[in-house]
Amino acid sequence: MSSPKIGVYGFTGCAGDQLMILNCENQLVDLFGATEIRSFSMAKSDNHEGELDVAFVEGSISTEEQLEHLKDIRKRAKMLIAIGTCACWGGPQAMKLEEGGFEKRYKGVYGNAKITVSKAFEAQPVDAFVRVELKIPGCPIDKSEFLGAVSKLVAKRHPYLYRFPVCAECKWKENPCILWEGKFCAGPLTKAGCGAVCPSHNMPCVGCWGPTDDLNVGAEYNLLKEKGYGPDEIVQKMKKFGGAGVAKLVKEIKPTAKEKEANK
Amino acid sequence: MILKMKKEDLSAFLETVKEWGELWGPTRKGERVAFERVEALSQMDLKAARTIIPPKKLLYPPRFTMFDFDDEGYVERTGDVPNRILFGIHPCDIHGIQIMDTMFLEEYKDPYYAERREKTLLLGHSCIPDEKCMCFATDTEFIAEGFDLFFTDLKMFYLVWVGSSRGHDLVRMKPELFSRDIGKDDILNYTEYRKWKTSQFSANADFTGMPDIFELGYDSSILDELAEKCLSCGQCTMVCPTCNCFNVVDEVELGSVEGTRDRFWDSCMFREYSLVAGGHNFRDKRVDRLKLWYTHKLQAYIGEFGEPACVGCGRCVATCPVDINVVTVANALREQEVGK
Repeated sequence: MSSPKIGVYGFTGCAGDQLMILNCENQLVDLFGATEIRSFSMAKSDNHEGELDVAFVEGSISTEEQLEHLKDIRKRAKMLIAIGTCACWGGPQAMKLEEGGFEKRYKGVYGNAKITVSKAFEAQPVDAFVRVELKIPGCPIDKSEFLGAVSKLVAKRHPYLYRFPVCAECKWKENPCILWEGKFCAGPLTKAGCGAVCPSHNMPCVGCWGPTDDLNVGAEYNLLKEKGYGPDEIVQKMKKFGGAGVAKLVKEIKPTAKEKEANK
Repeated sequence: MILKMKKEDLSAFLETVKEWGELWGPTRKGERVAFERVEALSQMDLKAARTIIPPKKLLYPPRFTMFDFDDEGYVERTGDVPNRILFGIHPCDIHGIQIMDTMFLEEYKDPYYAERREKTLLLGHSCIPDEKCMCFATDTEFIAEGFDLFFTDLKMFYLVWVGSSRGHDLVRMKPELFSRDIGKDDILNYTEYRKWKTSQFSANADFTGMPDIFELGYDSSILDELAEKCLSCGQCTMVCPTCNCFNVVDEVELGSVEGTRDRFWDSCMFREYSLVAGGHNFRDKRVDRLKLWYTHKLQAYIGEFGEPACVGCGRCVATCPVDINVVTVANALREQEVGK
């Protein structure tokens, strides 16, 4: 079995996903043994930018220069895997997607300063620009999800990641549903994979794994409104990690029957 | 066989039977009531109406490894399940386990379930119904079989039903605690108890005629209305004592031909559940998934096995954050209106 050639790259994000790969301490020797890591700037200096079997890309894309680099990686890689919620959905820097006003916000931060580096644009996930074969979300990614996927790829098998909401894992741990307490829990919108770590410590899910592929945004919105949360707060919290995965959906939220009644 | 035991002797009895295996019972930590391994009766909460997850978790864990494999073959992971005594199961949950047995032990015997079932003794206990209990509507509020021992709390005494030879073996570990001396007062107490229990229910549950009402209302917009509220979070299926669907995945070791084949609880509420090769999805719409679950519980299972696949435990009522459960669905269909 020839070892797959791998590259690991980071764009706009905290580099926490690359760090998490390096934090797989007990498996690092196996990882470097089973794969040929051609490029991984955070881990080593001797990097070669050639053909790749798999490129792992962290972070959202927010400058022209990044975009060029991303396209180059895509051209060289047989498979491109987005790692971390920023690469998968845009991350918190993409929480204003579909709202417009990027220029104004940009000006608010940078004023009239002369920008000499690459031109910036509103941060978007990797698949807004290039084809992505697999998303491994997380903030940061989970070691066992990442290593599980890599192991499958090395064995030339399809990786499997949970697609259902984290509520399933939460129930497997037999936690009481935190929504019943009136807390703002984003669990029903959020992909499983973290092992329901926050609700297992009685902390509501903030949605950092990004959205599932089967969202009922309207139902979660109406439920949270009934619990007393304001519309803006709900939408903002949904978009914080949901980014491109929920940006369009929150615009389609329909008023409930009760609200329709009240507006008559 | 029905025996009598003094209430204060229960602790000593459980202490003795622990020789046979791990003792498990309902424990409470704040809002969380769960079957956990315990050392003594004093750690159990026998007044709690229900645990979050039914005892199915011990017979069929949420995620477990079935076998290890490499390129030569596989080795089953059976054989390492400990003996367990599960104390404090309510009649509804024993009915639930009987339905699980039908699924996993009859036509296609599941070796993993069978092993855990074989090594688990079921010691039932009478319960105090709350406003979510609806076993009266599914005819599961009492239980006559399916347990090894069943303890009915009659204040000063327990009446102890012996439901299997293994249950009898437990009794024989401490025979001096049991008496066959059942008198007139005991019979009257038991009759009173049944009356009392039957009078405790307050849930607005009525499943009579549900197969027909489902047939009539299958395309009703009522179900669309409910589906609009459904979060597809799958909690209802995880907490249901009769939900038994699972998914199977392989985990491989990095750079190796070795790996494990794992099984975990799946849910028909999830979109990927009905996704097949080629990308077609038999129940892409949320409403179709709701219909599957509720017709399974209250219609199709009755057609096949003559009883509902709902045991009235009230867990879906206690769990669904948007109030979709067997009671609200049955009532909405019957009254053609989604309640508040």
